[in-house]
Amino acid sequence: MLLAELTYGCPLHCPYCSNPVATSSGEELTAGEWERVFQEAAALGVLHVGLSGGEPLLRRDLPEVVAAAQKAGLYTNLITSGLGLDARKAAQLHEAGLDSVQISFQADESTLADEIAGTRAHLRKLEAAAIVREAGFPLSLNVVLHRRNIERLPAILALAESLGAQRLELANTQFYGWAWRNRSQLLPTREQVHTAFAIAQAAQVRLRGQIEIIYVLPDYFETRPKPCMQGWGQRYLTVNPHGEVLPCPNATSIPGLRFDNVKTQQLAAIWSNSESFNRFRGEEWMPLPCRECPERGNDFGGCRCQAALLTGNVNATDPVCSLSPHHAQLQAMVEAAEQATAIEPWHPRQNPMKSMPVNPVET
Amino acid sequence: MSDFPPRVRPQLASHVRLKIDPVTNEPVLLFPEGLLVLNHTAHEIVSRCNGQNTLEEIVGQLATEFAADEATLRADVIENLTELQQRNLLLFKT
Repeated sequence: MLLAELTYGCPLHCPYCSNPVATSSGEELTAGEWERVFQEAAALGVLHVGLSGGEPLLRRDLPEVVAAAQKAGLYTNLITSGLGLDARKAAQLHEAGLDSVQISFQADESTLADEIAGTRAHLRKLEAAAIVREAGFPLSLNVVLHRRNIERLPAILALAESLGAQRLELANTQFYGWAWRNRSQLLPTREQVHTAFAIAQAAQVRLRGQIEIIYVLPDYFETRPKPCMQGWGQRYLTVNPHGEVLPCPNATSIPGLRFDNVKTQQLAAIWSNSESFNRFRGEEWMPLPCRECPERGNDFGGCRCQAALLTGNVNATDPVCSLSPHHAQLQAMVEAAEQATAIEPWHPRQNPMKSMPVNPVET
Repeated sequence: MSDFPPRVRPQLASHVRLKIDPVTNEPVLLFPEGLLVLNHTAHEIVSRCNGQNTLEEIVGQLATEFAADEATLRADVIENLTELQQRNLLLFKT
């Protein structure tokens, strides 16, 4: 599975944005360069591409990029805020062979949603969802859950139903980058997490055969780490807007890891030979207790970005694991956030100067 | 088993594509962020889910093509169709 980040620019300013806090500089890959990446990815065995960002609709040549992915035989999913989508653009994307559209929502209603997005976005998203359906695309919704919106889950489910979504991704915030910076504002309470999980499970049963509901667990509240990326360098690769190839979308946050670039190397060579992809392949890098743990084939020692962020040691056991020597520290942090009564305002994501939105956004 | 609705004409959901993986040569169903590798039987069934064939038509076609016992086939087909529908990959059009 390939995640193609077409640009870091975005009209939204969500406090959990997946963009790196400090983005690297460089020219965005051209549609022609993406075409080569898609061909090379297909030859490697990649079947899916997520066309993402930032906001991919800021790329005026998006239909060309979609057509290139389609020509390479990839299943194409557009991962968008919906801002910038009109009926004409939707028709162009349909014509180009786009398979599916995923729109992010920040909440079920505009007051809270627009506050989270840092711009007036919610009503435009509702319009975009209608356009997606009218153009004949299957619609997925993605909602990042956190302290401020997690209690809105029943209304979020109703929104997905009313918009005719076929798929709903409820993704509890994973704390990297911007979300890490805003963690004290975003971390839910244990009670919120338990309630939301029960609601999501009930909805999965109730809506079976109608909406597929994916619930991404808030891993800080777990005792076993997530099988991050299904193993490092096993199934996933990300190409960022400047052409760097990453084993995971957050990998640039790991100090000292260097990345090869599709502008200068073939994707297959990067996948097989690069230092970054080989760094955590297999089990040799694993510390104790992972190295001797019966779970190591299932969770791969958890997330490397999280280990680096929380322990300062990229080789450490993911502190989410109760066997990690850092687990108690993580639990203390979660508890402290829960006890906090005064919540500071969050830091909205800023756009990197070079890739400001092409279309001015009304505020 | 026999309570499978007779007028249903199964069809792949609009977000699902049936494809032969060019690297492994296996039939796969592709959908956003996921895939399902089909075994031979499932592939033969799914490729007949075009929104026009009913259960009996699918069973009939397979029985002719593979000279197999209809009752066994029917049970297999129902099991496959039900599972795919539960996973939101197949729509039961009436």
